[in-house]
Amino acid sequence: MILFIKLFRESAMFAWTSIAANKLRTLLTLLGITIGIFAIISVFSVVDTLERQIRGSIASLGENVIYIQKWPWEFSADFAWWRYMNRPTPRISELDDVMRRTQVVEAAAFIASTSRTIEYLNRSMERIPVLSVSHDYDKVRNFEIERGRYFSPTESTAGRNVAILGYEVAQNLFQQTDPLGKNIKAFGRNIEVIGVFSKEGDDTFGNSHDESIVVPVTFISSFIDVNSDRYNPAILAKGKEYYSSEEVIDELRGAMRAIRRIKPTVDDNFALNQSSLLSKQFDGVFAVLKLAGWIIGGFSILVGGFGIANIMFVSVKERTSIIGIQKALGAKNYFILLQFLAEAVILSLLGGAIGLLMVFGVSWLATYAMDIDFMLTTKNILMGINISVIIGLVAGFIPAWTASRLNPVDAIRSNG
Amino acid sequence: MIQVKELKKNFGDLEVLKGINTTFERGKTNLIIGQSGSGKTVFMKCLVGLLEPDQGGVHYDNLNFTRMKGLERNIIRQKMGMLFQGSALFDSLNVEENVMFPLEMFNKDMSRKEKLERAHFCLDRVNILDANHLFPAEISGGMKKRVAIARAIANSPDYLFCDEPNSGLDPTTAIVIDQLISEITKEFQMTTVINTHDMNSVMEIGDHVVFLYKGNLCWEGSSEEILTTGNKQVEDFVYASELMRKLK
Repeated sequence: MILFIKLFRESAMFAWTSIAANKLRTLLTLLGITIGIFAIISVFSVVDTLERQIRGSIASLGENVIYIQKWPWEFSADFAWWRYMNRPTPRISELDDVMRRTQVVEAAAFIASTSRTIEYLNRSMERIPVLSVSHDYDKVRNFEIERGRYFSPTESTAGRNVAILGYEVAQNLFQQTDPLGKNIKAFGRNIEVIGVFSKEGDDTFGNSHDESIVVPVTFISSFIDVNSDRYNPAILAKGKEYYSSEEVIDELRGAMRAIRRIKPTVDDNFALNQSSLLSKQFDGVFAVLKLAGWIIGGFSILVGGFGIANIMFVSVKERTSIIGIQKALGAKNYFILLQFLAEAVILSLLGGAIGLLMVFGVSWLATYAMDIDFMLTTKNILMGINISVIIGLVAGFIPAWTASRLNPVDAIRSNG
Repeated sequence: MIQVKELKKNFGDLEVLKGINTTFERGKTNLIIGQSGSGKTVFMKCLVGLLEPDQGGVHYDNLNFTRMKGLERNIIRQKMGMLFQGSALFDSLNVEENVMFPLEMFNKDMSRKEKLERAHFCLDRVNILDANHLFPAEISGGMKKRVAIARAIANSPDYLFCDEPNSGLDPTTAIVIDQLISEITKEFQMTTVINTHDMNSVMEIGDHVVFLYKGNLCWEGSSEEILTTGNKQVEDFVYASELMRKLK
């Protein structure tokens, strides 16, 4: 093993000298590998970043939370929208029934959303999403309240004019002032601010509370028909721990069919959506993106591989007499093979490293320019390195094999 | 001692060596001379096993090297030192590393320290130890030859083969190198075989001279005898220059 390491070191040294002596040629040859690694790893990094964001957003929807809605979460091209058009929307009156008829549902909440202009003193914000929720909303959605508190049961049931502000809304309307206890104006009414959500950041599905306000549904139902389709009403049901989402869905389906008195032969007139449905749909998108990355980068790497094989053949030709002398001085075939393979791998790694640096630079720029946290993960870096090593080995093998099989007499005689 | 018996080598229809018989003795500098195309280089390559003879054989201390295979042959090859035409140093390695190369290749059991010590000893012997960290591009032609000699003797060879050791050197440096080869031959009791067409070398260090002519061993003897041989081919070669003719 020690001998192998020593020989490898020796080989690498020969390789490095050769590379350093032909900088421009080396750089041009490496361009294929560089572009290939850049293409593959940048696509993978983009996909990873999107995946992380989307999965984060899906997680924020709540684990084991089933959304009872009119429309199913389905994005396929052959989506039969007309089948769902005439379905009834979930109604707030169905919320209690759902809880009463199910055993595995831990909590359920009704939500409906609209948008309004929100005013405070002389400041106002237009088209701010107003989320009207029933009391157990805090049990089915994951969020944190930075200042203040959540609605009390009395406020929820009595329809008190209270609101919890999203972080950005609070920042814009109140700036340096403490919003707690202050009155904002919406729906022509004063609404008391009792809490401010923690900053949640951008969300792929727009589920962040940052730029919205939340009010009790009992309060808002005086101004709008929360059961109307235009306010996207939904019942969110969270399954009890230790029950799978399939069990929760089964029970909810039974409960909803009973509530709506749907005959056994008739299809459901509601959709039971869950976050894992979204995940599955995105899995396909990510797989296609990654495949595209492999195809684009693969062709580049193929070209790069041929470039490396070419430069290695030139290198063997240039060093033919040296190979002969090395053999005459006792160098074995495997030493020569290793020497040229090491050179090919170093070349390829160099190209890969430049590609990775480019990805790092671009992701750094994108992070600053687009305010998206692009990730160049260790897994992707290692993948880039592995691809480079494999390409180096594959591209360098035939030239290295040719070099190792050279007849020392012919080799010494050559002018190379 | 190297014994050459009925050595023949053909390249297709061309007979390059036509049955050579001679003996190269230990502790002596043996010179192979002859005109270009006489078969000197092929003869040397057959001696070291880089070419396989078609007939006859080469015997190293009574062991038939020609018939040996693989490992057996490697054992003999480890006892050979080689000095290539034009030094043939590795540009990427410094002087010290060049000398250590055959040690790295053949002596797997030697520690790095031992190899370094051996390299320093050899460099010291050829008076170039001070240049151990310099690279070939940083030293003169004569120094390169010294490094090449140090590399050739690094493995303490029993047999030293030199291909045109004076090529590219000025006459003064050439004599110094010749004498160095002769000295180490006697000092380490090696069997040294030198392929040359430099008459100065013949006269300076030729203990035993073999003259090849069109693939035949035309004449052999000492450097003193070569001047008075009476062999026409040898005389044509030795007295080829105007200077030698005047001296005669």
